[in-house]
Amino acid sequence: MIEKIKKIRFTPRLILRMVIAVALLVYLTWRVVQVTSSEAVFGADTWLRFLISGLVIGGMYALIAIGYTLVYGILFMINFAHGEVMMLGTFAGYFVLEAFSAIPGPGTEGVNFLNAQPIIALILAFIVGAGVAALFGFLLERIAYRPLRGAPRLIPLISAIGASIFLQNAAQLLFGPQRRQYSNPDLLWRGTGWMIPVGDKSVMLTYTGVFSFVLSILLMIGLFILVKKTKLGKSMRAVAENKQAAALMGIDVDSVISKTFLISGALAGAAGVMWGIHNGLFNHYVGFIPGIKAFTAAVLGGIGNIPGAMLGGMVLGLMESLGPALLGLDFQIKDVIAFTILILVLIFRPSGLLGEALTEEKI
Amino acid sequence: MNESLKRSLRLGLIFGIVVIFFMLIGFTNVAANMIGDMLGNIEQTSVNPELPVLNLVLFTGLMGLFTGVSATKKDGQDSWVQVLISGLIAGLSASIIIVGFILIVGSLHTQGVDFRTYLPNLGGNEIQYLMFYTTPLAAAVRFILIMVASSILGSLIVKSFSSGSTVNRALKSLQQKTTKKLDVQTLKSALGNKFILMGALVAVAVLMYFLPFVWGSYWNYIMGTVAIYILLGLGLNIIVGYSGQLVLGYVAFFAIGAYTFALLTAPEPHAIEMNLWLAMLIAVLVSTLAGFLIGLPILNLRGDYLAIVTLGFGEIVRILIRSDLLTSITNGPKGVTNVGQPFLRGQLFNDTNYMHLLMLLVLAGLFVAKRLKDSRTGRAWISIREDQTVAQATGVNTFRYKILALMLGAAFAGLSGAIFASRNQFTGPEDFTLMVSVNVLCVVIVGGMGSLPGVVLGAFVLKGLPELLRELSDYRLLVFGALLVVMMIVRPNGLWPVSRPKFRKKPLEATPDEPVEVEA
Amino acid sequence: MTRTAISVKNVTKQFGGLTAVDEVNLEISEHSISSIIGPNGAGKTTLFNCVTGFYSPEEGEIQFFDQPVQGLPTHKICNLGIARTYQNIRLFKEMTAIENILVGQHARMDSTWIESILHNPRYVKEEQESIDKAFELLEFVGLSDLADTPAFNLPYGAQRRLELARALASDPVVLMLDEPTAGMNPQETAEMMAFIKELRDSKNITIILIEHDMRVVMGVSEKIAVLDYGRKIAEGDPAAIQSNQRVIEAYLGPSLDGILNRKKRKKQNDA
Repeated sequence: MIEKIKKIRFTPRLILRMVIAVALLVYLTWRVVQVTSSEAVFGADTWLRFLISGLVIGGMYALIAIGYTLVYGILFMINFAHGEVMMLGTFAGYFVLEAFSAIPGPGTEGVNFLNAQPIIALILAFIVGAGVAALFGFLLERIAYRPLRGAPRLIPLISAIGASIFLQNAAQLLFGPQRRQYSNPDLLWRGTGWMIPVGDKSVMLTYTGVFSFVLSILLMIGLFILVKKTKLGKSMRAVAENKQAAALMGIDVDSVISKTFLISGALAGAAGVMWGIHNGLFNHYVGFIPGIKAFTAAVLGGIGNIPGAMLGGMVLGLMESLGPALLGLDFQIKDVIAFTILILVLIFRPSGLLGEALTEEKI
Repeated sequence: MNESLKRSLRLGLIFGIVVIFFMLIGFTNVAANMIGDMLGNIEQTSVNPELPVLNLVLFTGLMGLFTGVSATKKDGQDSWVQVLISGLIAGLSASIIIVGFILIVGSLHTQGVDFRTYLPNLGGNEIQYLMFYTTPLAAAVRFILIMVASSILGSLIVKSFSSGSTVNRALKSLQQKTTKKLDVQTLKSALGNKFILMGALVAVAVLMYFLPFVWGSYWNYIMGTVAIYILLGLGLNIIVGYSGQLVLGYVAFFAIGAYTFALLTAPEPHAIEMNLWLAMLIAVLVSTLAGFLIGLPILNLRGDYLAIVTLGFGEIVRILIRSDLLTSITNGPKGVTNVGQPFLRGQLFNDTNYMHLLMLLVLAGLFVAKRLKDSRTGRAWISIREDQTVAQATGVNTFRYKILALMLGAAFAGLSGAIFASRNQFTGPEDFTLMVSVNVLCVVIVGGMGSLPGVVLGAFVLKGLPELLRELSDYRLLVFGALLVVMMIVRPNGLWPVSRPKFRKKPLEATPDEPVEVEA
Repeated sequence: MTRTAISVKNVTKQFGGLTAVDEVNLEISEHSISSIIGPNGAGKTTLFNCVTGFYSPEEGEIQFFDQPVQGLPTHKICNLGIARTYQNIRLFKEMTAIENILVGQHARMDSTWIESILHNPRYVKEEQESIDKAFELLEFVGLSDLADTPAFNLPYGAQRRLELARALASDPVVLMLDEPTAGMNPQETAEMMAFIKELRDSKNITIILIEHDMRVVMGVSEKIAVLDYGRKIAEGDPAAIQSNQRVIEAYLGPSLDGILNRKKRKKQNDA
């Protein structure tokens, strides 16, 4: 360790970076201490609420971020339209739940299917949501990205931007610009949950929040197993490392790439349905900001690194939720935090928290 | 199954889905009405609210035509019978999809289902129109007939124009006869002649001076916006096109320029109200400084990361401008009103004056960009874009040149921003969304990265053209997105790709004052 | 008295766990033609990259006429007078042949961006001179007719020659060529060999080659250094290298004795 330090060559640039990093750390710590200790604007209950909401949204970010990282790892491109894929999942889940809330439940009087068989309804909503999103992820690759494989990096990016704009507006034209509400089953009604006492106040642990978080974790575990243990996972990793070698080993590279997009889309779709169930309101624009933030999370964790994307998503969710309060700033600044984190990470730790993908120019 | 049959089947299915998509987004109705306007046959009254069915027939026929055209091989290899079959299959497979849709929607509608909560474009009137004001079954039959007939027609048309056919040969000989007269070479050598060139330039200058007076304030506004986007495009072109740095947050510099100018010249919130031209200069300088500061930390980032980080910067600037945190400086979401306007001979600038000013600036910008491109600086930038590592090893100080590109690009944006704010007399945070960055990027890329005529053309196409097609403005973004994807696949070099300059060898005897360069 | 143009002192370059260059010492005299050879993966290009500033060695020093250059940014190294070509040709593809050479001259020109806009007399003169010089170099490598062809359109041999011309454009004192005859037929190879000698004779450039083609190596080099697994295993004139047992083993594989010896040696090195 000491040898490593001795070997560092102290260029002016490095020194400047270190000075800025130290200054930032000092400032932030001072700020946090100031806010938490002296003013005590927020009680412990509020902090808990922030923490919970941070975890819940972190889980969703993580799922979307995994999608980005999977695609980046395999094609070295930013799937700018990934947020729109999530949005389509949200819409699909919405329609399923609407359908179920319209038809009567089996055998019961006056109860719609949604409330009579909520579990089945939810499962189907997720399957359809993930499925539709996966399909569109697949189509996206086939139509907008595959013809451009091998082109300089700027070209597929523009194509992705175009696809993103197209999908957003197609959704707007098809379904209208108005915000819609998810119909949750009564079992999972938004705003209901367990009350946790904190001091003399109490904080609600919403059912939807727990549901989303648990499902996120389960999906992440599922994906991890897929990538590490299955043949497909191995093929994906092989193609990500070296396409030509993988092809020479008999792997159908195109098929693996398609499947990657299917999986990445499915995860985003599931996150989209979760978003609808937990947050309620949505429209065609719902995928845009989470998409950008999830990409930030993926980079934060180390792009191309799957555990990194998971970690990055959770960290980002928490920082977004706790950050403004910790620093005594306004909640409007929430979005700025995500970007600022990204910029700082890329400046001071370009490979991300866990990853070692190249972010600086390769020799 | 035969390859071409599979292809016809597949294309037919795709077009069927496209037709349904058009129906769902209401485009079918809009397009049919446009046809109706052209034919002049729309006579809706309160007594007879029905739209002419003919327009729908024609539109569907048009879709069928496209189906047939795309399903047929263009090289003329297939026989007439094969072509006929391709058209037939394509038309049939498209019809199946459409018919399925019509039957389901139509019968549900007759049973009283209202789709409008979920699909706002399928109101009762629309659905009835789509069914030709008859029953679903009758409508289905009509669709099949129209699609199949027009698809076959499309195939036949392709076959008759493909190589080897009589029509094709006739066209080719006609083409040869006409190009002999319109020889590009003669045109070029004509322009080489100094007098003709001078004459042409004078004509253009006169035209540009008088047009703003003639075409009215609406067109001044539109063309002014085009001019602003040309300037923005020129600036981004230096950053992206020349030095290859993918900056997605260009709007940040635009915003900084606009707000600097606005805050310096408006009575609120700061009541500085300084001289306008000075304010403009300061706006440019502040933007340039921003370019420098933003550039410093991010210069070594690789392409995609640079894109996202700069995107972040763009959003940060916008959010900060409208935040409560900085409202005391920027006036927050309300924006800045009564932004200063210059005077000319005692009168405030009107739109004609702005147009002239913008024209001058565009010309100046083009001049500067051109000179930079074909110089040591320009070549250094392009070498960085092509291969940064090798460029540096060949002696180019990449850091300095990349920062320079950013600063110059920011300067262009700052200038445009100042004029933008001045012309609108107002500026607010919602003028500076991510879409603006995306628009400018598309101007550069769709026009042709690094190409100056490309930037001009791109600005016209992306900003001017939508204005001409105002009836379709709802679908503008849809087309925009699709256009981007298609352009990248079909013509990634842009509408007017950049061309490298050509160098003629200097004759050994004479020593000219200028380097002897002949641009292609 | 000939000075040492390039001096590599105990240079080590590591990538994570892999030691690509292992305590290599090398002295290149000015005006000489030297070659660095060795099996694939021996660390030759990595050594080149260290000398030209692409990599910063973990240990050791590299000197250019007694001036330390390790860790300097690559453009400064080019300014000092070291130029190179690349194993897998790295031209500026979208630029024409002559433009590539003009970029090559970047270090020797100094017009600023403001002058580019103004076209003041000094700028105009410098541009014209550099264009003239570019044409001379094009002729020198036999590419005059292809001046305005974009580099990606040039045939392979022409691309190699263009890359060479671009390296020469910066008036280098030391020219480092990474596998200059790769992919060439015997006639082109012979031309390249003559060309290399001509460069040294007429322009007094110090030349360092990485080469696999032994005819070239033995034909033009005055001194040869051999690398294997990152270490220098031999050094000397062509005759000495040709008969060096270790060198032969490195290329052709060990004899029985060689295997046993090598195992013993590896044990010693690792200890």
